[in-house]
Amino acid sequence: MGPPPLKQIGPVMYEVDKSFREDMRVPARVLADAALLEQIRRDKSLEQLVNVATLPGITRQAIGMPDMHEGYGFPVGGVAGTVLPDGVISPGGIGFDINCGVRLLACELRREELDDRLEQVVHELSRSVPTGYGRHGRLSLSHGELDRVLEEGVPYLVRELGLGLEEDLELIESRGSLSGAEAGCVSERAKQRGADQLGTLGGGNHFLEVQSVDEVFDLGAARSLGLAEGQVTLLIHTGSRGLGHQICTDYVRSMDQSLARHGLTLPDRQLACAPFSSPEGQRYFAAMCAAANFAWSNRQVLTHRAREVFGRVLGKEGARLRVVYDVAHNIAKLERYGGRELCIHRKGATRAFGPSSQEIPPAYRGVGQPVFIPGSMGTSSFVLVGTDASADISFSSTCHGAGRAMSRSAAKRQVRGEVLRRELETRGIVVRCPSNAELAEEAPVAYKDVERVVEVVHRAGVATKVARLRPLGVLKG
Amino acid sequence: MGVGRMAGPNQQAERRPRHSFEEHTGEVLVRLEAPSLEGLFAEAGRALAELLAGEPPVPKGQAERVQLEAPDRQTLLADFVNELIFLSETRKKVYSELEVERVEGGALSARVRGAEPDSLRTAVKAATFHRLEISEGPGGYSATLVLDV
Repeated sequence: MGPPPLKQIGPVMYEVDKSFREDMRVPARVLADAALLEQIRRDKSLEQLVNVATLPGITRQAIGMPDMHEGYGFPVGGVAGTVLPDGVISPGGIGFDINCGVRLLACELRREELDDRLEQVVHELSRSVPTGYGRHGRLSLSHGELDRVLEEGVPYLVRELGLGLEEDLELIESRGSLSGAEAGCVSERAKQRGADQLGTLGGGNHFLEVQSVDEVFDLGAARSLGLAEGQVTLLIHTGSRGLGHQICTDYVRSMDQSLARHGLTLPDRQLACAPFSSPEGQRYFAAMCAAANFAWSNRQVLTHRAREVFGRVLGKEGARLRVVYDVAHNIAKLERYGGRELCIHRKGATRAFGPSSQEIPPAYRGVGQPVFIPGSMGTSSFVLVGTDASADISFSSTCHGAGRAMSRSAAKRQVRGEVLRRELETRGIVVRCPSNAELAEEAPVAYKDVERVVEVVHRAGVATKVARLRPLGVLKG
Repeated sequence: MGVGRMAGPNQQAERRPRHSFEEHTGEVLVRLEAPSLEGLFAEAGRALAELLAGEPPVPKGQAERVQLEAPDRQTLLADFVNELIFLSETRKKVYSELEVERVEGGALSARVRGAEPDSLRTAVKAATFHRLEISEGPGGYSATLVLDV
């Protein structure tokens, strides 16, 4: 079978008709412009999106974001909604890094007030936040404490461990706590992996980035989010670490074994799934919620560490790092569309509720839920807000980043890490990264153009641009 | 570490355990080749060690025993790599000495030795079922495995 044929159905929307393959239950749609579409078609992501369109219980359409690229099972940048109670939940549709996401912190200082202390800030962050197997900075928890993090999430950290401020809670998706979480559905192996990982970044494309607001596109929305040109910000990108990875491993394995019992056949084993209402589906959802709470807690501990560092280096004003918002981009959520309750899988896609949503913080009602789109190493990141129209277009979802365009090995063939490091330093960007090889893997050339990706979601009307953030210093996981 | 081109068909008789990392936009696709199933599984472990640490540290201390069961050998391969990922993360070691004693009837037994690396290179989250395949030819076995990194 040849590549899926795409028909243009809107200025930045393309569709694979469900007649393309007999097993498709709904069409597959992609938000993209011609240039991004050409990049998307170079790998297997479109075929993977077509596979998603075969999932039992899927409704409306499978949706690919402009940053979509090939993953395993689901493409990265894929969104699917299944009708409850019997539509499926697929751990691979959330990914191994459950609730990988981004949190933006706003500092009261302006870029010029950092003076020559930027390097010290990044250096101190690297001393406070472990990478690799490093032991410093980790928050070690007892078994009982870990279970409370899993079931209660960030409120437990703030109220009982003193890690953060009460006002942080309102500014985190789902207030940093999903009520469906059950620690008993998380294996001992997953708990062992997560026991000393709160407050760690992990590798891959995870990072802490000191930035400044470079340009404001929507003054009113920026004011509502408390952002102004020249202001210093800190973006945190990480997830649920080994705990989430193990939960996904455990449940993909057990759901793979229960497919026949549920009468399910799939085009890719990694799409292993179970009806949401089945015992397997319920247990996975409870474990996934626990991992999501762990991930929000991880970003909360990193926020606490960042406040300590900014306070030490920049004084009292620097320490006042306000949470702008924290949003997941690998997660399943129960949401209502067209009067029905759906399980929305977002794999490398960000929720983008509009101004009229009652789910978003009161301060942002009338504005829209903040969305953060990190660029690749050394390129700009973007702040957007969700729209009400996104509910119909994309199950209130938007993109999650620049999206890889090139494999890691191809990037290393094209870019030398030490050259990239020098280039970033020449541009005044402070870089802390364990190795030049890893730096090269994350080089901008390995990613799509984030400005183009953001322009597409803006034009599609699923999220609108508020501000651009320029990198000043990066600590890579 | 033995990373290189795969042997051609005329070299199959003298096929030695090998692995290579192939193009995949988001993740890492590993291609494995060995004269025996045991060798193939051990090579998967060596590929993981190379990803995790580049040049892995010299193993120290006692070997750890790994025993696994799975419904088929493909699942067993993913399980074995996932077990090594679990051990690496919880013991903070990279395992480069892998003695796979038996892969038979859906069961595996192995002894592995490792050491803590100075630094980690690529964080590996899990072995997936995506494109997971083991095939048997005249010169031995080959497999593909996609790792989430």
